[in-house]
Amino acid sequence: MSDLAPRPVEASSEQVGGASPRTWTLALPEDASAHGHRIDALLGWSHRFEAGLALVAFGWMAVAVWRFRKAPRATVAHGGTRRSRAWVLGLALGAFLVVDGTLLVGSEGYLRDVLWNLDVPARDPRTARIEINAHQWSWEARYAGADGRFGTADDVVTWNDLRVPVGVPVWVQLVSTDVVHGFSLPHFRVKLDAIPGRVNQTWFQAAREGEWEVACYQHCGTSHYRMRGVLRALSPDAHAAWLREAGRQAERVYDADDSAANWGWEWKAP
Amino acid sequence: MSLSSSDHKAVARRYLWSGLGFLAFGGLLALLIRWQWAFPGQPVPGLAWALPESHGALTPPTYTAVFTTHGLVMIFFAVTPLLFGALGHFVVPLAIGARGLAFPRLSSVGFWVYALGGALVLASFGLRLGPASAGWTGYPPLSTSVFTPGLGQTLVTVAVLCAGVSAFLYGLNFVVTVVRCRAPGMTWGRLPLTVWGLFFASVLNVLFVPVLAAATVLVLMDRLLGTQFFVAGAAAVGGGGDPLVYQHLFWLFGHPEVYILILPAWGMVGDFVAFFSRRPAHGYRLTAGAMGAVSALSGLVYAHHLFTSGMSPVLGRTFMVLTLLISLPAEVMFLNWLMTLWRGSVRLTSPMLAALATMSVFGLGGITGLALGAVATDVPLHGTLWVVGHFHLTMGAASFLGVFAGLYFWFPKMFGRALHEGLAKAHVLASAVLFLGVFGGQLAAGYAGQLRRLYDPYQYTYLRHLLPLNQWTTACAFLLGAVQGLFVVNLAWTLRRGRAADANPWRVGTLEWTCAPSPPPEGNFARPPVVLRGPHALSQPESIERLGRDWLGQAEDLPASPATATSPEAPVALTSGGAS
Repeated sequence: MSDLAPRPVEASSEQVGGASPRTWTLALPEDASAHGHRIDALLGWSHRFEAGLALVAFGWMAVAVWRFRKAPRATVAHGGTRRSRAWVLGLALGAFLVVDGTLLVGSEGYLRDVLWNLDVPARDPRTARIEINAHQWSWEARYAGADGRFGTADDVVTWNDLRVPVGVPVWVQLVSTDVVHGFSLPHFRVKLDAIPGRVNQTWFQAAREGEWEVACYQHCGTSHYRMRGVLRALSPDAHAAWLREAGRQAERVYDADDSAANWGWEWKAP
Repeated sequence: MSLSSSDHKAVARRYLWSGLGFLAFGGLLALLIRWQWAFPGQPVPGLAWALPESHGALTPPTYTAVFTTHGLVMIFFAVTPLLFGALGHFVVPLAIGARGLAFPRLSSVGFWVYALGGALVLASFGLRLGPASAGWTGYPPLSTSVFTPGLGQTLVTVAVLCAGVSAFLYGLNFVVTVVRCRAPGMTWGRLPLTVWGLFFASVLNVLFVPVLAAATVLVLMDRLLGTQFFVAGAAAVGGGGDPLVYQHLFWLFGHPEVYILILPAWGMVGDFVAFFSRRPAHGYRLTAGAMGAVSALSGLVYAHHLFTSGMSPVLGRTFMVLTLLISLPAEVMFLNWLMTLWRGSVRLTSPMLAALATMSVFGLGGITGLALGAVATDVPLHGTLWVVGHFHLTMGAASFLGVFAGLYFWFPKMFGRALHEGLAKAHVLASAVLFLGVFGGQLAAGYAGQLRRLYDPYQYTYLRHLLPLNQWTTACAFLLGAVQGLFVVNLAWTLRRGRAADANPWRVGTLEWTCAPSPPPEGNFARPPVVLRGPHALSQPESIERLGRDWLGQAEDLPASPATATSPEAPVALTSGGAS
C-alpha cells in the first residue's frame, strides 16, 4: 500500500539521490515528483521481463543452433505434434498473461489514481493552477493572481520559467498558438501534447525543492531543440511570496488593449 | 530485358537497384544525424562542398531536412520497395507457380510512379527549394505552408503520395495474384510462409495506404489551395479543422505500415528456419494464423502513438489493451521458429544467418515495445530515443536483415550466379552485431531521457552526461555503414565474374527452385507445375528412403520404389503435369 501513496515531501531527497551531476549512467532522469516512483517501479518490472524474455529467446536460439549445427539428418514426418503445438500456445499465453498482465494492471492503477484522476487537484484547496501557452519556441505560463481568476489584470505571466509550490498538486492546462508541441517534465514523468485548438490538462506534484528542466518532445520546427524552460519547485511560502509580488507588478503594467498578452481563459473544470 | 518490360522479374530488378540506392542514401543521412549527436555543430568531414556557409557542419535547418528525408526515404523508398518491389515482385509468382503477376502492366506502371516519387524526394533535398523539414510524420500545422513554406515540403508530400500509389498497386496486384493465379494443387495450406507474409502485408497495403493518401491529399490541399482541414483548432476559431484528425489518419496508416514492413520478413524467417534446419516448419498453420491475427489487429492498435495527445481515458484504455494483445500472436510465431530449430540439422548458410539475425533484432525490438504499449510506462519513454531504438530494431534492422536474407537466398535465382558465401556471412553477422550496438545505444539513451529529433540534445543539462554514450553509438553506426561495403564488393564481384549457381543450391523444394531454370525465362515455367505437397517437405522418411535426399519438390512425383533413375541430390527436372 505504501507504494500507492504519494511520496512524502520530507523523506524524498535521500530516496531520489542528490542533484549532483551524474556520470555515465543509464538510469532514468532522477524522479522529483510525488508519484513518479510508481511509473519507475513498473518500468523496472517491464525491464526485468524484457531481460528475461530476451535471455530465454536468445538462449534457446543459441543452444539450438550450437547443439544441432550439422547434426545428422533425422527423419521428420511432420511439423510438430498436437502436443508440441499446445506447448507453444501455452507458453505464449503464459508469457503474455504474466508480462502484459503486469504492465496492464500496474498501468491501470496509475491511470486510475494519478494520471487520469483530475479529481485530486480539483478537490484539493491548495492546488496550484497554471495555464501554459506553447509557442515556437518557448513556454508561456500564466498564473491567476490574488483574485484566483485567470484572464484578469493581476495574472502573472512568465516565459520559460515555471514556478510551482512543493507538496501540493499542480494542475496544468495546456494550449498551443502555432504548431503541435510536446510539454514534457522528464523529472516529473509528465508528457502532454500542446495542440492548437484544444485545451489539454494534466497534473503532478513536486516532492522537493529544486530546479528542473521543461523540454519539448514533439518536433516543432527549426529551433525545437532550444525550446527549453526551467521549472522551479519552491516552498509554499516562497512561492506565495513570489506570486504576490509578481501579481502586484503585473497589475501595474497591465494593458487591457494588448490582445496578444491577454490570452488566458477561464479555468475549465474537468 | 528493357526498362519497359513488364515481366515481374524485370520490374523486381528495377525495384532492387533503386531500393538499394535509396537505402544507401538514407543510410548516409542517418550517419549525418549520428555525427551531429556525437560532435554537435562540428564540420562533417567531406561535406564542405554541400554546406559551404557552415564549412560542412550541420545547421538546425539542414538537420531537420536530414532527419525528415532520412525517415521518408527509408520507409517509402528503401525498405518497402525492397521487400515488396524487389523480393515480392520476384518471388510471389514463382513461388505460387504462376506465369506472372495478375496485372503485369500495372506493376510496371507502379514502378514508374515510385520512381517519380523518388525523383521528387531527391529534388526536394538537392535543389535547395526550402527542403522538407516537418519530420517524416509531417504533422500539421507544422507541415502546412504557414510553418514550412518551402517547395520541398510540397514535393515530398507528393512523393509520399506517389509511393503510396505504387504500394497500393502492387498490394492489389499481389492479393489478386495469390488469390487467383496459384498453380493447380497450390492450396492455401501449401503456400510458402514468405507468400503468406507478403499476402497479408499486401492486404494491409490495400486497406491502409488509401488512408495515408487521404491524409496526404488533405495536407496538400491545405498547403496549396488554402483549405483548413488541419490548420486551425475547431475549439479556437469556432469551426475549421483540427490538427489531431491528421494524427489519427496518419497513424491509422502508420501503425499497420510497421507490420507491412515486417510481415514479409517474418514469412521469410519462417521459411528459412525450416529450410536450413532441414525440418518442416513447426506449427505451419499456427504461424500463418498468427500472421493473420497480427494483420487483423494492426489497424486496431494505432492510437498508442497518441497516448500523450490528451485522448480520452476510454480510448486510452481500449488501445492499451489492444496494443498489448498484439504481442500474443507474435509470441506464438516466435516460439514456432524456435521449435523448428530444435532437433533440426542446422546449416548456417548466409540466408539462415540473416534469418537468425532477423529473429534476434526483431525479438529485441518487439520486447522493448512492451513498455510502450501501456499508457503509464509509455509516458516517460514517449518521444525519446527509446522509441527510436525500438522501432528501428523492428522495422529497420529486422526488415533490413530480412531483405538481405531474401536477397542472399534468391540471388542465384535472380541472376543465375552465386554470391560469395563467406563475404555474405561476414556482412550479415557484422551488420547484426552493429545494429544491436547502434539501436541498443539508442534504447539506453532514450531510457535516460534523451528526446528524439533534437539538433543539440546537450542544450538540456539533464542530457549532457549522455555525450559519451552517443559517441559510442555513433562509432557503431559508422562501422555499420562501413561493413555494407562487404555487400557492395560481393555484389559487384559476383555480377562480373561470379560462378554460375547450382539449379537448387539450397536443396529445397519450393517451385521456384524445382520447376524453373535460373534465371527463369519470361513466363517462368514451361508447363504450369502441379503442386503435390507443402513447401517444407524436408527430411521426410519416404524421400530419404526412396530418393536418398532430404528434400522433395513441391511438384515432384515420388517414385513408388527406391530411386533408380534419379541420382541423389540431382536437380529435379520439370515434373509431368498429369500426376495425382
